[in-house]
Amino acid sequence: MTVEAHGTNGAETLLQISGLTKVFGGKGWLPGARRPSVHAVDNVNLNIKRGETLGIVGETGSGKSTLGRLVLRLLDPTKGRIAFEGLDITGISGGRMRQLRSDMQMVFQDPYGSLDPRMKVGAIVAEPMHVHGTEHSSIASRTADILHRVGLAPAMADRYPHEFSGGQRQRIGIARAIALDPKLLILDEPVSALDVSVQAQILNLLRDIQRQSGVAYMFIAHELAVVRHISDRIAVMYLGRIVELAHRDRLYAAPRHPYTASLLSAVPIPDLKAERQRKRIALHGEIGSATALPSGCRFHPRCFKARLVAEKGGVATSTLPSGLALPARCIDTDPTLVESASGDHVACHFPLEPDDTAT
Amino acid sequence: MVSYLARTLVQLAITLVGIVTVVFFLMRAIPGDPALYMLGDFATEASVEALRARLGLDLPVYQQYLLFMQRALTGDLGQSVVTGQPALREILSALPWSLSLAVTGLMIAVALGVPLGILSAIRQGTWVDVTIMLVALIGISFPVFWVGLVAILLLSHQAGLFPALGAATGGGFFTQIHHLMLPALVLGLSVAAYIARLTRSAMLEVLGQDYIRVARAMGVRENRIFFRLALRNAFIPILAVIGVTFAWALGNAILVEVVFSRPGLGSTVLKAILARDYQLVQAGVLVLATGIVLVNLTLDILYGVIDPRMRTGS
Repeated sequence: MTVEAHGTNGAETLLQISGLTKVFGGKGWLPGARRPSVHAVDNVNLNIKRGETLGIVGETGSGKSTLGRLVLRLLDPTKGRIAFEGLDITGISGGRMRQLRSDMQMVFQDPYGSLDPRMKVGAIVAEPMHVHGTEHSSIASRTADILHRVGLAPAMADRYPHEFSGGQRQRIGIARAIALDPKLLILDEPVSALDVSVQAQILNLLRDIQRQSGVAYMFIAHELAVVRHISDRIAVMYLGRIVELAHRDRLYAAPRHPYTASLLSAVPIPDLKAERQRKRIALHGEIGSATALPSGCRFHPRCFKARLVAEKGGVATSTLPSGLALPARCIDTDPTLVESASGDHVACHFPLEPDDTAT
Repeated sequence: MVSYLARTLVQLAITLVGIVTVVFFLMRAIPGDPALYMLGDFATEASVEALRARLGLDLPVYQQYLLFMQRALTGDLGQSVVTGQPALREILSALPWSLSLAVTGLMIAVALGVPLGILSAIRQGTWVDVTIMLVALIGISFPVFWVGLVAILLLSHQAGLFPALGAATGGGFFTQIHHLMLPALVLGLSVAAYIARLTRSAMLEVLGQDYIRVARAMGVRENRIFFRLALRNAFIPILAVIGVTFAWALGNAILVEVVFSRPGLGSTVLKAILARDYQLVQAGVLVLATGIVLVNLTLDILYGVIDPRMRTGS
């Protein structure tokens, strides 16, 4: 499949997530004892089309990795539905799920922990083919072919993972993930552990693979800079919720959620003059605790926009125990993810307007 | 692999020289004159001097050291003062009794401890896990001599299943095995508790690795994940633990030998200490230390076989 091809028939939905929720804890070790529960993923809805790259961005603790693991059924959801090619995979048996696994694979962040140190590279890449019953006679040649595709010499199949650098190891992880020609790859911060120069190589490799095979990516990252060049659409997560989901260009040009705007202002601009002149939006405080979620909009304790709206007046405000006055709606009402005319989504009572971004 | 082997062997040689040195100076550091001890309170000045000369104790310490080293390397560890037999031969004749006890005990420990540890890790957090770990904790907490006495009381005295004491030194093979079973079981149980706990933690560590998660995402069956991927990787720390426990088992074997009145290295060295037979003590310590070094050497070679990362020496 070429770029044009998945541009035109790419409208078909590959993965559909609706109302997905994952709660950790809540049940104690002893009967009757209750531990604090964490809503790691809270009522998330999103779609991934064939051949598309959806970037998922959020701070540590935003639930983005949990979301990836739920899609692969490495974790079972508490509520909600995950449909892969129209088939609900949340309730299906282990055997059926195992068959589907050849269509969705995962690449992990840590290129050291994700490769079995006791297996040779060739065996690592061939493992998924063995698991899914690829004909034995063709495995060796396919392994060599896949290694070549990720930029490794097929002769390297005979070596052990510890003989490779971090970037090479990540290539091995990618080779293993694409061995079965999956339709969906979950990339869980695949370049976060690598040097910047190597990051670019891996990102280019991933883009090349997508062009050749038409695989869809769910690309999880903790900063916006990394996903920019590879994503078609980007979902920004905060404390288990998607707060903004928009087309890449619109998200970067005109973020609508205050949280997205503050994340964007943390991305350095590679131009000294522009970098010195622009204003940075400092977030107030740390990401909140997922066990004690703020009332109303979970971002309100850290939101700069809410403060501005309250200062400007014209809306009903409430005063927090800290003495800070914020719009009452932000404190009382949890905003829902609303679709705009452009097809983008934002969950905010006072989304940023284009002229707001300069603040 | 060859260079790995060569490196390990050089390390072995250095360790052995070190052991001989430490044993030599430890024996010299014991206060009192060995010659005086051996001859007793009524020895004449002249006979003490004669014995000192015969044992080489009149020479300067460095000469004694070189002489001792030279003799030790040729396998001459002097004579037992009590029996007059070569000390090494005395020790080596006691060794099989201890070794059979330690090896059988360790086999029981591995056969029990490793599967229980794996089961505990697979069923982490369930009542199976909690029960196994509780029993293991109790097993570690009770001293082996107490367990030995209780075992004699219950299994020999009350139930009459096993002989209580001795090793049937003159008896046939099966009688000897029968005598070995209870002490080996006692030794094995105490070591099994230790191995079970460490197997569990080694397994849990491997099971938390990303490559296990990848395997699950890939659709690898759970059985294969536990027994092929996890166990193979957990086996490296488990093997290390078994090596350490072998030394521990030999040490505990000494206690078990005393409780069960069995012959062996432990009882021989204990008797030698009480009789101030320092040549024999010296030989016993050397043989024991060498044995432990050899076990560790074997393990080092095994690591190289099972862990590819060890071979390149990085």
